Amino acid sequence: MNGQYASLLIALPLISAFFVPLIKGLGDRAVKYYLILVTAVQVGIAGWVFREVYSTGKPIIVMAGGWNPPVGINLYIGHFAALFVVIVALASFFMAIFSAKAIETEPTDKYAMLFLLLMLGATGMIATGDIFNLFVFMEITAISAYALTAYNKTGEAAEASLKYMILGGIGSSFFLVGVALLYGATGTLNMAQLAQLAGGINATVAQVSLALIIFGLVVEAELFPLNAWAPDAYQAAPHPITVMFSAFVVKAGLYAMARILYILSAASGWADITKLLVILGTLTVIVGELSALRQRDVKRMIAYSSIAQVGLIAVALALGTADGVSAGVFHMVNHAIVKALLFLAVGYVGITLGGTAMENFEGLGKRMPLTAFSMTVGAVAVMGIPLFNVFWSKVRIILAAMGANYTWVVALVLAASVVEAVYYIRLIHTMWFTGEGERIHENIAIGTIALFLALLIIFIGLYPDYFWTLSQKAGQDIFNVVQYVKNVPLMGVGS
Amino acid sequence: MISVYYFGAISLILIGLYAVLVKKNLLKILVGLSIMETGVNLLLISIGYVSGRSAPILSEGIGPNQAVDPIPQALVLTAIVIGVATTAMALSAAIILYEKYGTLNVDEIRRLRG
Repeated sequence: MNGQYASLLIALPLISAFFVPLIKGLGDRAVKYYLILVTAVQVGIAGWVFREVYSTGKPIIVMAGGWNPPVGINLYIGHFAALFVVIVALASFFMAIFSAKAIETEPTDKYAMLFLLLMLGATGMIATGDIFNLFVFMEITAISAYALTAYNKTGEAAEASLKYMILGGIGSSFFLVGVALLYGATGTLNMAQLAQLAGGINATVAQVSLALIIFGLVVEAELFPLNAWAPDAYQAAPHPITVMFSAFVVKAGLYAMARILYILSAASGWADITKLLVILGTLTVIVGELSALRQRDVKRMIAYSSIAQVGLIAVALALGTADGVSAGVFHMVNHAIVKALLFLAVGYVGITLGGTAMENFEGLGKRMPLTAFSMTVGAVAVMGIPLFNVFWSKVRIILAAMGANYTWVVALVLAASVVEAVYYIRLIHTMWFTGEGERIHENIAIGTIALFLALLIIFIGLYPDYFWTLSQKAGQDIFNVVQYVKNVPLMGVGS
Repeated sequence: MISVYYFGAISLILIGLYAVLVKKNLLKILVGLSIMETGVNLLLISIGYVSGRSAPILSEGIGPNQAVDPIPQALVLTAIVIGVATTAMALSAAIILYEKYGTLNVDEIRRLRG
């Protein structure tokens, strides 16, 4: 089949989102089933793209309107993008099923539309090969994320959403200034051509624009000084949306950051920016873990834990070595699975028992054994216990950081892992060894998803080699800029 | 000698940033965000300006060589729409916030913390 069909990854959610108001006429349940159907088709397309890219070893380049880059906008679906569109689609599919149960009272048609647009934005951010197009997809993701955060219409939800909007607004303005400076210096917006021209940019311009772009993306990627919105948004947003935030919205921001960072790796002053990012990432890990330690709300606790893991990924991606990038990608995959499972289980407890405060989790092992079991698997995996998936990626990251001579980073990150173990063990203790309760009937569909994710965690933990190979290929896709430029058929206009 | 357009655009961005950081009223913060977006748009458009050329609409007497750079204009058109969408979104959230909290002072809007 022609590779250009991969543009359906963008087109399908967009068209489907426009059809939601028509489906609305058939009733609330129809909208929910429609959402499940569309995301299932998206999983199919993503699976086809994944197979195509990994079996041929060549990236799919989609050219918009048949114009060669850099004149037209191109989508670059290499090993990384192929892997992550599958993750985005799968997470959306699972959350569409979860939404059927979790979204009861509010207007479902608007929810479905925003849900599809969030999926579209994240897919576009991961697939695009044009820096301004990246901005547009980032804004699609961000605006649907703002709206979905405020979806519950409580005061807290509006407060969280406004915090996110103000920080996101500043971030996107700065990103745009960075893009303007890069365009002014090179005259192109295409990433491949930017990579070719990066060496010739004036040192000051390169450094300032790179710093501004990274600053803009840091808001989306939840790194330390600009992540105050994240725990609020995670706590106030509907439960399925929380999963989508931590499973792929953050990942899309991190990926965009890494991509632009390595595209401009020939520019002077580049090493300073990566050093800054390593520092920010390490601070994120420490601040996130310490804040999680004193939370009384389980959802907020896991939100902080999610932020800390994101810091770890940012450190790995900014190390500037091929090992570091591959390890970062591996951790992104593992973290998407684990945090999807944890937020799914917490959200399910939240809608069944009314709220996610720590008291509701007492005796959960007796009341909802299946949910409690999958949460335990997730919690044990996050701590980095051997034979679970996160262990392997954390080890890879630590080895890569040692290889890049960042011993102090390794020491601080390991210390933070101890803190992490403390609060997860506290949660497990609360679930299994305190409280009494009657058995509550658990939903089969949600239980199946949770069990599937838990088994996936254990499977990757036992056989990490296959996924490590995938991550290495995906990491090469980001790290090896020369190959990236070679893959994009530039027209040879301009300089 | 720095161009007056660049100076003006950067000043607008800084004024907007100042308003976001210093003001206590939520609506004033949103006005600051809008000012910032305007500054960014002005900067983008002035990057594409070529002294002495006309608008990039090809017509009689105006060939491709007499037009300014059309790309930043496409970018700005997109950015303006995005800015308006964000502002509309933020204003509707501000309405809900005022209904639930009875205030727009950011120091008093602090129910989520920890």
